[in-house]
Amino acid sequence: MALILQSTTMKHYLIIILLLISCSWIGCRKETPIDEDGLLITTRAECYVSNFELLGADFQTVRTKNAVIDTIACTVDVTVFYGTDLKHLYPQFTLVTDAKLDPKITGFTDFSDLANPRTYSVISGNRQVRKTYKVNVTVQPR
Amino acid sequence: MSLLGLCLLMTACKDKEYAIPEAKDALQNDCIKRTLGPNVAGLNIEFAYAIALPATRGKIVSAQVEASIAGEATTYLEHRSYYTNGSGEDVGVAIGDPSVNEGNVTKVNFTKDTNAVTLRYFYVIPKSAQGKEVRFTFSAKSSNGETISYAMGPYRISKMDMVLDLPVKNADACFISVADMAVYTEKDAPANADKIDLVYLYRAISGISFNHALVSPGAGAEYLPDITLPPGLNRVTKIRKTWNLRDFHLARLQYGVYIDDLDFEQLDMTGSPDYVINLKSEAGAWVETADGKYRAYIYMNKVEDSKKSATISMKRYTLK
Repeated sequence: MALILQSTTMKHYLIIILLLISCSWIGCRKETPIDEDGLLITTRAECYVSNFELLGADFQTVRTKNAVIDTIACTVDVTVFYGTDLKHLYPQFTLVTDAKLDPKITGFTDFSDLANPRTYSVISGNRQVRKTYKVNVTVQPR
Repeated sequence: MSLLGLCLLMTACKDKEYAIPEAKDALQNDCIKRTLGPNVAGLNIEFAYAIALPATRGKIVSAQVEASIAGEATTYLEHRSYYTNGSGEDVGVAIGDPSVNEGNVTKVNFTKDTNAVTLRYFYVIPKSAQGKEVRFTFSAKSSNGETISYAMGPYRISKMDMVLDLPVKNADACFISVADMAVYTEKDAPANADKIDLVYLYRAISGISFNHALVSPGAGAEYLPDITLPPGLNRVTKIRKTWNLRDFHLARLQYGVYIDDLDFEQLDMTGSPDYVINLKSEAGAWVETADGKYRAYIYMNKVEDSKKSATISMKRYTLK
């Protein structure tokens, strides 16, 4: 009889200990870090453009070939078809995991000022590294 | 207890026996609109009008449609009722004389003993109805004097104009007027210089993709290579290339996409170029004339590199 009582008390102690451990685990968990855009801030420090696309007013590509991305010099060199309407171009960046772009792409963008190329900044997943890329557009010569 | 439950279960599962519904003892009618998309002048609005009555109440003697705005002279109400035969063909059975248009009313008088029929009505939209609303009253009469009617609408008639399958050819019929919705040759162009908005040209230039192009007469010379324009052609038309916009009316393909008045009203052509090059078959271009009077959508139905020609269709909206 005494043995049974002891076993029941042990069980109760075990449950209480488990509850305490789970409470402490919940209490110690850090809040998920979120940036001003509501995006998750991660531990990744990588910061680069991995692909670049440029669409025309008809949402078809205007590139004559793949864009050349220099992640050291932070440049994107893209050649577009002869006759491309440079005032209505839709850039699309592919970035490394967790990174984000500034300014954001919200619609058609004017790339017609070839002497002053547009710049876009890539911000790493941990939001600690920022690299500014210059997009150099060249029109295919006739 | 369990026996009672089993009984209840069996009662709940019993199917209701089907009974053929009894027809109402009256002249009845129903109507559906068959056409989709905006109602453009020159096109049809098609309806199917069904009429029926029991044999005990006589037969149908006439059917008619009254439109609030008279349709074109080619408007008609079918005098045949169709059924589909074993080969999938629609076979018409005449039930009366061909319809007659009297003002706003289109009427068919029945000559065969008919108790149930579905007649198609084709209202050819007149230009006078553009921007207005049109309503229809379908009605039928039986031999015992009973009448019945069905109201349809209102339907808004588009302000757009449309022209289909204009052939254009490099250095020949290549001067396009949005105002006239026509294509002029070099001979006719000077007389209509103030109405020519675009020049069609085809160039196979090595190293670049120029091909089929629509260029405004006032565009830079690099987009009008080896062309001497007739005197007086200098309009700078805004134009923007599109793809995957195969309007059902213009393309007449399987895509259920329609350009409507609203598309032209909301179109923003600010900063658009005065040329488009490398147009392919099934591509299109939004256009705004230099005087801001018209907006248009030009669709490339067909392009032929070897003949340096194309077939275009156009929807146009008048702004002013």
